[in-house]
Amino acid sequence: MLKIEHLEKRYKNFALNCSLEVKPGCVTGLIGQNGAGKSTAFKAALGLIFPDGGRITILGKDAGELTSADRERLGVVLSDSGFSGYLTVRGLIPVLKNLYRAFDEPFFREQAGKLGLPMDKKIKEFSTGMKAKLKVLAAISHDAKLLILDEPTAGLDVIARDGILDMLRDFMERDEERAILISSHISGDLESLCDDIYMIREGSILLHEDTDVLLGEYAVLKADEEQYEKLDKQFLLRVKKEPYGYCCLTNQRQYYMENYPQIAAEKGTIDEVMTMMIRGCER
Amino acid sequence: MKGLLIKDLELLKVQKQFFFMLIVVMASFTFFYEDTSFILFFLTFSVSLLSVTTISYDEMDNGSAFLFTLPVSRRLYVVEKYVLAVLLGGGAWVFSTLWLCAGGLIKGTTAVPEQLLSAVLLLPLLLCVQAFMIPFQLKFGGERARIAIIIAIALLTCAGMAAVKVAEALGADIENVPDRLPAEGMGAATAFAFAAAVLLLLLSVRIGISIMEKKEF
Repeated sequence: MLKIEHLEKRYKNFALNCSLEVKPGCVTGLIGQNGAGKSTAFKAALGLIFPDGGRITILGKDAGELTSADRERLGVVLSDSGFSGYLTVRGLIPVLKNLYRAFDEPFFREQAGKLGLPMDKKIKEFSTGMKAKLKVLAAISHDAKLLILDEPTAGLDVIARDGILDMLRDFMERDEERAILISSHISGDLESLCDDIYMIREGSILLHEDTDVLLGEYAVLKADEEQYEKLDKQFLLRVKKEPYGYCCLTNQRQYYMENYPQIAAEKGTIDEVMTMMIRGCER
Repeated sequence: MKGLLIKDLELLKVQKQFFFMLIVVMASFTFFYEDTSFILFFLTFSVSLLSVTTISYDEMDNGSAFLFTLPVSRRLYVVEKYVLAVLLGGGAWVFSTLWLCAGGLIKGTTAVPEQLLSAVLLLPLLLCVQAFMIPFQLKFGGERARIAIIIAIALLTCAGMAAVKVAEALGADIENVPDRLPAEGMGAATAFAFAAAVLLLLLSVRIGISIMEKKEF
């Protein structure tokens, strides 16, 4: 669906150099701190900025060769951009109908009603939650094959976020060939939705793992000085000095639980894994 | 193209007060003044340049980035802005010409053929203004475009004045050439001006596309 190979983009104070892949039927998450390069990677994939190197293949074509017909098979949400605030939802319908041949107007109207989106209010007067819902609704209303969603839940409360994640789950259930690339700095959103997750930091991919593996086999070990000295360190990915001793990240939770039952091995959450990957030292 | 045109017409609904103001100004001029040809210039240019306004609306809050994730190529976007400008300008031109002719007939002040001649002479100028304004807006956007246009107009005026002065020094009176043209020559000159304006507009479309294709969002 989407393959980014050694994408390079250089700015004065930032350089992106990353590779990632989104496979059919999968929801792939991209997580990273603000300024890590998520939006830059998305914009390069969408042809909004021009890469300095690397290759992007999207829906089987080179990103630079995408036609308008190809773009009809994409649904996009950008974190810092959207429909003009001077449009209304009612005014948007004929626009989308004429841009997308597969635009499902009854679905759009029904969902807009369910989501409580006012038809005649200017979008600029919408709340943050309403704007986010409208962006996602527009992205899923024209039978897209690939959704590229940059921070679709940013700035939303728990209920609104949950509503958007439900919309995305429904979207995936309707066609098993569809795929989603989604970025967020809220790890909880990605844990419950994604099949695999990429972590990005300072423009580079730090880690790529299946979500099940990340949540099931990664663990944070908390060991005092003595325990740490005796610890088999070959499966430790990162180590961080703490006042009580050492905090260690591993992807072999079972191994340490069986061989070091006295050491606390807490299941990894995406937040913990990311914190350790960023703040810990490589062994 | 149709989707983009609908979007822009939806955006122009925001300008309801502006359209109302145009009608009030037109009605006032028709009622209070004998020479109403100002209406033709005023309405045609004001409405035509709304195409440039829609570019500002698109750029607002980084909206262009999202626009180009839709099935809209940069080339199509630029062409649509020119089509919109021609449609709006053309529509306003037809409307104001009819208004003037009707006003002239009712008041019996200006002859209809005279009104039509001014209207036809206006068309090449209209195309030139569009050819000039749209690339500036695409390149610089918003406030910067306005400053760039003022600087460009100042430079063009200076260049024009310098050309007249140089021609005068060489013994040629190019300033009064239009007045010396015979009636038949006037028709040919208008046709030539119209063709030149169309060519300029096509060149401007090419420049606009090139500007957009180099832009990052």
